[in-house]
Amino acid sequence: MKNGLILTGVLCWLVLALPTGADTGKKLGDESDGSRAVPVHLIDLLGEEGQRIAPDDEPVLPFSTRWTCGECHDYDTISRGWHFNAADANIAPGRPGQPWIFVDAGVGTQVPLSYRRWPGTFRPEQFGITAFQFTQRFGRHMPGGGVGELDSDNPDEVMRQFVSGKLEINCLSCHNAHPGQDQSDVYGYAGQIARQNFRWAAAASCEFASVSGSAAEQSDTYDPLMSDAIAVKYREGTFDHKGQVLFDIVGKVPAERCYFCHSNVDLYKNGLEKWVTDEDVHLAAGLTCVDCHRNGLDHNIIRGYEGESSASRNPLAATSTCRGCHLGTGLSVAPGEGRLGAPRPKHAGIPPIHFDKLTCTACHSGLWPEQKTCRTKTSRAHGLGLHLVNGSDEALPHIITGVFAKQPTGKIAPHKLLWPAFWGSLKGKDVTPIDLETVRQSAGEILSKEQTPRSGDWLPLTGELIRKALALLSSEGSIEGQPVYISGGTLYRLADSGALSEEEHVAAEPYLWPIAHNVRPAAQSLGIRRCEDCHSTDAPFFFGAVEVDSPLVSERDCVKMMVEFQDAAAFYVKAFAFSFVFRPWLKVVVLGSCAVLGVVLLLYALKALGCIVKVLSEEN
Amino acid sequence: MFRIVSIIAFLVTFAGITVHRIAFPSGPGEHRRRVGILKKLVYLLTLLFLEQRLSLLGKSKKLLYLLAVVCFLVLGVAGFYPALVLGEELSGYLLMIHVTAGGVFAVCLAILALTSAHHYRFNENDWPWLGSLVRREARTNKFIPDNSELLRKAAFWLLVIAALPLMLSVVLSMFPIFGTAGQYFLADTHRYATLVFALVAIVHTYLIIQARVRE
Repeated sequence: MKNGLILTGVLCWLVLALPTGADTGKKLGDESDGSRAVPVHLIDLLGEEGQRIAPDDEPVLPFSTRWTCGECHDYDTISRGWHFNAADANIAPGRPGQPWIFVDAGVGTQVPLSYRRWPGTFRPEQFGITAFQFTQRFGRHMPGGGVGELDSDNPDEVMRQFVSGKLEINCLSCHNAHPGQDQSDVYGYAGQIARQNFRWAAAASCEFASVSGSAAEQSDTYDPLMSDAIAVKYREGTFDHKGQVLFDIVGKVPAERCYFCHSNVDLYKNGLEKWVTDEDVHLAAGLTCVDCHRNGLDHNIIRGYEGESSASRNPLAATSTCRGCHLGTGLSVAPGEGRLGAPRPKHAGIPPIHFDKLTCTACHSGLWPEQKTCRTKTSRAHGLGLHLVNGSDEALPHIITGVFAKQPTGKIAPHKLLWPAFWGSLKGKDVTPIDLETVRQSAGEILSKEQTPRSGDWLPLTGELIRKALALLSSEGSIEGQPVYISGGTLYRLADSGALSEEEHVAAEPYLWPIAHNVRPAAQSLGIRRCEDCHSTDAPFFFGAVEVDSPLVSERDCVKMMVEFQDAAAFYVKAFAFSFVFRPWLKVVVLGSCAVLGVVLLLYALKALGCIVKVLSEEN
Repeated sequence: MFRIVSIIAFLVTFAGITVHRIAFPSGPGEHRRRVGILKKLVYLLTLLFLEQRLSLLGKSKKLLYLLAVVCFLVLGVAGFYPALVLGEELSGYLLMIHVTAGGVFAVCLAILALTSAHHYRFNENDWPWLGSLVRREARTNKFIPDNSELLRKAAFWLLVIAALPLMLSVVLSMFPIFGTAGQYFLADTHRYATLVFALVAIVHTYLIIQARVRE
């Protein structure tokens, strides 16, 4: 009787409480009630049309995250988050970041692509790459959504998109804490995307389903509801007695999930394994990526750079920077420094002008600068973490790291750098890329005579090959303007005489994006030993050699000086550095002068005191 | 802030000097005074080139004094130009010039202090009122003190005093002792000590020229 009353009470409360939730338009998982406990995700699997999936369905369909996760979380709000909104023209691009890098060694092409309006990047369609092709090529390291869900306007691809489905946001890519989450395997997420199995990719990546078959091999009339040529199989025991499935979901994403897309390996020493390198000091201290890179339901994740708050709606953007945690922003009445245990830096002996001229990362992030920059490989550019990835150090794209360059904010920061290489057409002063298919058809014949190295390095191009290829492209009637080839910071074109001429051009300038990780310990920051860490006449910070990457054999040893990227005169920087030779002398001289002045003052002060004593004693 | 304070301080100082010149004319006539100033300038400029009938020490002192004046002008222009005219921090070539001249100036200042301290020492003639106060003497002292000499001496010792924080603030900032807040404090100390030093140096120079013109 008593239990019955309690049950009735609980039911009444639920009935009263439910309309309140509905009124706010929020779904069950959209707003936290304040509990820090991890909610159990024992839920129904829902298909692409929102239908409930059961193990005895015929055929068994993959679950859709839009419906399955969207049951309790607002999918549309999430889909406007930073990881998914690149193609949305209404989103402020913010500070330039890591682009997608398209490489086709066969036609000497290496270009930074982005749907965001980052200066120096190209939009994929400029090279004739459709959203569908982009997804198939780069989706391996995308969490789905965004470009993967765009409707194709290419008639040839509309039918393919019916077959492959859309690449919905794969919530599990980040939030699945189960070790069985498979992003990399041939049968996991990356493999499914390569086979155009976009509809099946999320299911295939999780620990309780496997997918066989390939959408790329199916005809345009393939219907997944009528055929099991692409089949999904849920492991035994996946469904409980109510037909629900348990997901191992966490809100606080483990660093290992981020690492799948955001790993780097710096190639400054051959054979450098990850076990001999240190992690970012923050991770070593026990933090995870999302302690700083936070987001709410809108998934508007904090990138963490100063000034982000002007481009981001995330309320913590201003306080989640290096300065925000370590020094505080002064934006609130309460002290803001020391968040997450961040120690307040003393910066003893560092003149404050450094904080106006340098970002925090300049001294604290990346590799300790050496006489020549090194190359780096990243997950997104080189497919790190994938099975059968080219492990060669020479594999394209060639990304150069540790370039200390001036940002538009006027501060110097460490950057990664990519020298674009592509075929374009020059109209007036503007260079526009030539469609890749056109290049392959015209110049491919000439270039294909060279053997592509097994290492994945550039074709060994020569000036003569480029001259011939440009001549072929010139004879191509469809190209407006003069065909040119851009690489290694140089624009090549045919002179009136038919010879190859070269010149500097803004279109050939490298694309740079700032780096923040790995952060080194304070004891390994620049300037920790002495000023000469940077202010010496051969300091890599100013005078290090930046590799100029080019497929041209004759240009492969070219370098530029670091100071050329800092908007500063090399002579001045050298003279300033040279003045530090005399700094110890200056210290001695000034301290000595102070001592003399002090002694003179003391001497006459004592004399004056003597006089006063004499006068006060009323003696003559 | 420093920019506004400096501009006001310089304006007040120059206005004060002008008022003082008008209130206490130092020469017999305007024309002769101008000629006198011209003569003094020529004298100053030829110090280096003409025989001055001085001992080696005297010549060295004059040389040192001239060097200090040149350094002071260089430091003043390099230091105040970006701060007052451009409203920027001192940097670039100006910083290098400033630091180089600063080292030389520090040495000159120390030697000048060492060699001139005795000359500028205070004596009982500078404040006869104190003696009369202590010794209960009637105020019938016929000695009329020279206030401008007292001011010159005071200005000299103020220069020596201001030079200490001026130089120490900049040299200490080169050692890994002070953190960011300390660095800002030292930079401010350097700026304001410089301002005081510059103003006192201007007054001191004015008083010296005035005294010479009187002679």
